[in-house]
Amino acid sequence: MNPKLAHLLMRLYPRLWRERYGAEFEAFLQNRQGGLRESANVVCSALHERIFPTREGTIEQDSRSFQAWCVRAPWAIFGLAPILLLAMAYFVACLYLWFGWKIFLPGADTPFGQGGGPIYGIRNIYFQAGKFYYFGAPVLVGWATALMAVRQRVKSVWLVVGLILIAWMGSAAQIHASRTAVHGGFGYISMDFPLRASLQSVYQSPLHALTILSLTVLPYLIWLVQKNQSRSV
Amino acid sequence: MGHYSDPPLLVLASLANGPKHGHSMIEDIVRLSGTRLGPGTLYGAIARLEQKGWIEPLRPVERRQPYRITAEGLLALRAKLTTLQQFTKAGLKRLEAL
Repeated sequence: MNPKLAHLLMRLYPRLWRERYGAEFEAFLQNRQGGLRESANVVCSALHERIFPTREGTIEQDSRSFQAWCVRAPWAIFGLAPILLLAMAYFVACLYLWFGWKIFLPGADTPFGQGGGPIYGIRNIYFQAGKFYYFGAPVLVGWATALMAVRQRVKSVWLVVGLILIAWMGSAAQIHASRTAVHGGFGYISMDFPLRASLQSVYQSPLHALTILSLTVLPYLIWLVQKNQSRSV
Repeated sequence: MGHYSDPPLLVLASLANGPKHGHSMIEDIVRLSGTRLGPGTLYGAIARLEQKGWIEPLRPVERRQPYRITAEGLLALRAKLTTLQQFTKAGLKRLEAL
């Protein structure tokens, strides 16, 4: 495998794992032929290692300090951090839309509602992927938050608050695109979460907020059920 | 149905007949079970087995890190294989009754 790629793949693992296995794993990867399948295997394993770290001596250190934060400031970990993470995800979505607009629809006044073109064309796939990311972002952020709570075995009201806020943001988010008054002028994308409009939209589309909330809370509920079952056994 | 795949058990079984480094383990496991472990899967299993004290690293040889099974690892492997053997026997017995 290409040494640079081997190094990059090795860097995907958590720091404490790398300190123990990094050098030998990188050497091991360099001596292999590589290929997409092996690279994908390493990426998945690194992700697994980050979610379920090998619990040995020093490898628990990261987890312990994070656990301390969860106890010390649950409002920050489960309330504030998910909101900031979702805001970042939406910022990326806006950038993605803006680039798509510039590249695929340079003459259009808005990137929305611009049908046409082959269904499997790059343009359509690009915008559909963006739409998927935009609508999936609150669920993914909610899952990540719930997973953190499960891993840290935290029962916090802040988790519920965080998930409700994510559901609210997801259902209330409005994305706008417009150009300056001059035809063909500079286009810009903006987002807002207007409180009045959002309350109205939550009322108008409770299904959206409820869907996000129930999807995000699902991993946490499964853990609670499992925990209760193991306790009863 | 695919090949049998329980990476830690496969690694333990591979090390049962002597120390091996990563490449040798992968090839040995292919011969043993028909399963080809990916590099990430192999090292995931190695990390967990070492943490349990069932395998241990030896002195590296030319950037290759060999591992060997420990006495506790042999006990665990024997117990797991015995369970599998009993399961296989029971399953085959049921098939014979058909």
